[in-house]
Amino acid sequence: MFTQQLINGITVGGIYALIALGYTMVYGILKIVNFAHGDVFMVGSFLGLLFVQNAGMPIYIAYPAAMLVTAAVGVVIERVCYRPIRIKGTDALSILIAALGVSIFLENFAQLVWGTGTHAYVQEIKEKNYEFGNINLSNIQIGVIVLCVLLMAALYFVVNKTKIGVAMRATSQSITSAQLMGINTEMVIAATFGVGSALACVAGVLVGTYYDAVYPLVGYSYGLKAFAAAILGGIGSIPGAMLGGFLIGIVETLGSAYISAGYKDAFAFGILILVLIIRPSGLLGKKHVDKV
Amino acid sequence: MKSLKKILAAALTMALAVSAVGCGAPGGSGGSGGSGDTLKIGLATPLTGASAEDGKAIQEGVNLAVKQINDQGGIDGKTVEVVAEDDKGDPSEAATVANKLAQDESILALVGDFNSSCTLAGAPIYNDAGIVQISPGSSAEAVTDAGDFTFRTITTDAVQGKYLAKWCVDELGYKNIAILFENDDYGKGLADVAQRETEGLGAKVVVREAYEVNQTDFSTVLTKVAKAKPDVLIIGGLYNETALIAKQRSKAGIGELPIMGVDAIYSDALIDLGGKAVEGIKLTSYFSDSSESKVTQDFIKAYTDEYGKAPGTYAAYAYDAALIIMDGIKNAGADRAAIRDYIAGLQDFEGATGTASFDKNGDVIKEPLRMEIKDGKFTVVDK
Amino acid sequence: MQSIIIDLFQKPGQYKKVAGFILVALLAAFPYIYFNNYYLHIAILVGIFVILSLSLNLITGFTGQLCLGHAAFYGVGAYVGALLMKNLQMNFFLALIVSFLVTGLFGLLLGIPTLRLRGDYLAIVTLGFGEIVRLVFINWEEVTNGPMGLRSIPAPSIMGFVLKERYMFYYLILIMVLLVLFLMNRLINSGFGMAMQTIKADEIAAESIGIYPVKYKLIAFILSSGLAGVAGCFYASYVSYISPTTFVYNTSVTILAMVVLGGLGSLAGSVIGAAVLTLIPEVLRFISDYRMLLFGALMVLMMIFKPEGFWGVSKRVKNIYKLKAGRRHHERDIKSQ
Repeated sequence: MFTQQLINGITVGGIYALIALGYTMVYGILKIVNFAHGDVFMVGSFLGLLFVQNAGMPIYIAYPAAMLVTAAVGVVIERVCYRPIRIKGTDALSILIAALGVSIFLENFAQLVWGTGTHAYVQEIKEKNYEFGNINLSNIQIGVIVLCVLLMAALYFVVNKTKIGVAMRATSQSITSAQLMGINTEMVIAATFGVGSALACVAGVLVGTYYDAVYPLVGYSYGLKAFAAAILGGIGSIPGAMLGGFLIGIVETLGSAYISAGYKDAFAFGILILVLIIRPSGLLGKKHVDKV
Repeated sequence: MKSLKKILAAALTMALAVSAVGCGAPGGSGGSGGSGDTLKIGLATPLTGASAEDGKAIQEGVNLAVKQINDQGGIDGKTVEVVAEDDKGDPSEAATVANKLAQDESILALVGDFNSSCTLAGAPIYNDAGIVQISPGSSAEAVTDAGDFTFRTITTDAVQGKYLAKWCVDELGYKNIAILFENDDYGKGLADVAQRETEGLGAKVVVREAYEVNQTDFSTVLTKVAKAKPDVLIIGGLYNETALIAKQRSKAGIGELPIMGVDAIYSDALIDLGGKAVEGIKLTSYFSDSSESKVTQDFIKAYTDEYGKAPGTYAAYAYDAALIIMDGIKNAGADRAAIRDYIAGLQDFEGATGTASFDKNGDVIKEPLRMEIKDGKFTVVDK
Repeated sequence: MQSIIIDLFQKPGQYKKVAGFILVALLAAFPYIYFNNYYLHIAILVGIFVILSLSLNLITGFTGQLCLGHAAFYGVGAYVGALLMKNLQMNFFLALIVSFLVTGLFGLLLGIPTLRLRGDYLAIVTLGFGEIVRLVFINWEEVTNGPMGLRSIPAPSIMGFVLKERYMFYYLILIMVLLVLFLMNRLINSGFGMAMQTIKADEIAAESIGIYPVKYKLIAFILSSGLAGVAGCFYASYVSYISPTTFVYNTSVTILAMVVLGGLGSLAGSVIGAAVLTLIPEVLRFISDYRMLLFGALMVLMMIFKPEGFWGVSKRVKNIYKLKAGRRHHERDIKSQ
């Protein structure tokens, strides 16, 4: 049973990690927590369903289209809701409250559009189960894990080896200096929100396909866990988000398997609080010193 | 000067807001209600939040019952009107709603609340005010002694749990039981009864696990269930999660494990969402679209005509609750206390969910039906 | 009574005295003007949320620490009070004090390791704490009776006289609110309060002038959580039934919204925020489908166009730091002419 539970934990951990990337990238660049990111994930999941079921597109067109639209949603949220506050220079608290507002708005908007119930997801990819002794593994499960790792590796490559990555890293160090170097920082910020939201859409489609369900409040619990994962790994760090995601997934799965399923969410937050007490900047985070 | 103006403005705003709340509460005080040409009944149900789907079904059931009465000329020539309030499935909000409905003396009785915790929060207020509440969805055992004015059209978990246990252990011969339940007032209450009753019949509960309402990932608990090798899985929860559990059980290698549940999973959403995976699920229910009862069939037809979809179990309970209240108004007159006395003595009331009487605690006494999902339909079965 | 009102608006002045006196007189007369259980219930809820938002303001508004788990402290206070009154037949007022102490202790235990963290981290830690507390309420059945909640919590009594009518609860919460306002006003205008606000304005600068941030944050956090516990204890006794579903993340967000929309770091703002956000949903009941949608949009718009809230920071800046003192002198000059 242990191996099986470990695999269950890694699967859900991969999804947390994908969503956590969105939190971590935005935080890395703007030092703000985009609390609405979990709901962007929900919107992405619904869009994937919508494009396949209602628009009748084949999935190889529908899913990239959903990613694009979700990316646009992310960029629009930044432009309309955060940027006016950001350029005014009011403190981070204001943006955080605005993000909570966006989150409440998106959840209730989704309930109005798609109803409060749970929707079955498209099953275009046929699920096959493989048995290895006592262990069950499905093709979708393998796909989820592989895709998560590949996407994270790709993102790591982009940030560290490409020109836009250099621009992102420069912007994260200092927006003003980056501007002086001729970097279009607004473009970089938009790209960050766009990429983060597109990844959330992938996670949304994966959750839909693997667990076969989507509903308007799905973003709440995934969003919180992913946020916890980003902080656990050290917010601002891409490998950190990955590590944090897998760790939270595994800890909550093993905790509910061997201790009590009633306390499932408590394990995720418990480990987070423990880690922060020992390492206040997260597992792979840089120690933060406030400078005058 | 400027600050004075602001303070006064603030005070005024508050005063305005308070009076606006006042305008929202219809009807005057004084008298025993029923003034004019309308009779009012209340409805307290979750219209937003996690239970909104069921809450809206309840609203539809009540509205349908009222519409039918009004189409037949109302009660003594007066039209019946529903005053609906949203309790959000939150006990604190339910207490507010209870205060609002109990205060308005033109409201004669009400249907509500849905969640057991909300019914328990509202009950002290309704009982103080002496107004009948009939819950269409609170099956917790604790509601039994909530007060003289608290009734329900759904039976307690104990009744259904006992019936289910007997069916499951004695007749189907399952000896190793797995229980999954949603971690709230409803699920935990039902899980406790199911465990007590099945163990009382000599079966063994080999695994018992909780899940959160609105959970999507059941792989962990299902893996635990698979390891315990049970003969049957009893679910103490609602249809959404039941459908997901049914679908995801094949991932844990227990695709053939039989599932049993109670009336809470009776909804077309279970079949829409679960598809082939929910085939063969056995459940107890009081409401069935294949029932031969004329009242039930008329209800199903009227509901489908009105809303363009088949009714679920809670719409039927709510429909019955509204009918009982209106029957009370008709026979006992527009008086809160008289309605209570009438309903308390009600015998063999013919409703969409079967024939009902109330015991001395206001709990309904009915015999459940056995059902199974066959070919994508809820079907009444003997075994 | 008058002095409380003066303190409430922070600036002595004849008009304020009069206005404040009228306001309190109106509030005291309220049950006689509107003798209606529903209105009284709403008024009592406003009172409970005034205490909750004032207490959260202490930590978020005055010290600048974002807390997303305030409902957990509210809940701990409610459960502690309920269990003491129900199982040990403890007097309400004694239970109130014990709730304050126990909840404050929770604040201390959570605060010691976490207040060293930066703002955003504190937000997630308090949020996580809130979730854990909620799960304990649900799962620790032996004590909390699990999701079924606790029933028949006794009403307060003074020397054998039981306060069971709504208007008695109304006066009780009115007195509690005025007392909390009075104490909070004393606190924030003391040296301690000045130190807290210095920390909020600039933590490093505060350290450089010898204010040790963690100590002040911790005391603020303890007081803040303890006060939330008091509100919880009152709620339990008033409604007589509590269950875990009341003390959830959404409640925390609502309290935070009251503080922020009312005006961070403003006592009057918290009062107005709590009143407005309790009354608006009641008034908007008829469009219940859209009310949360509007609420979310309002939060964003408020942050864009009026980040200081209804009764916000500008007043505090003017009064405490006297940054706009020039204008005040100017006003005085005009008056004296």
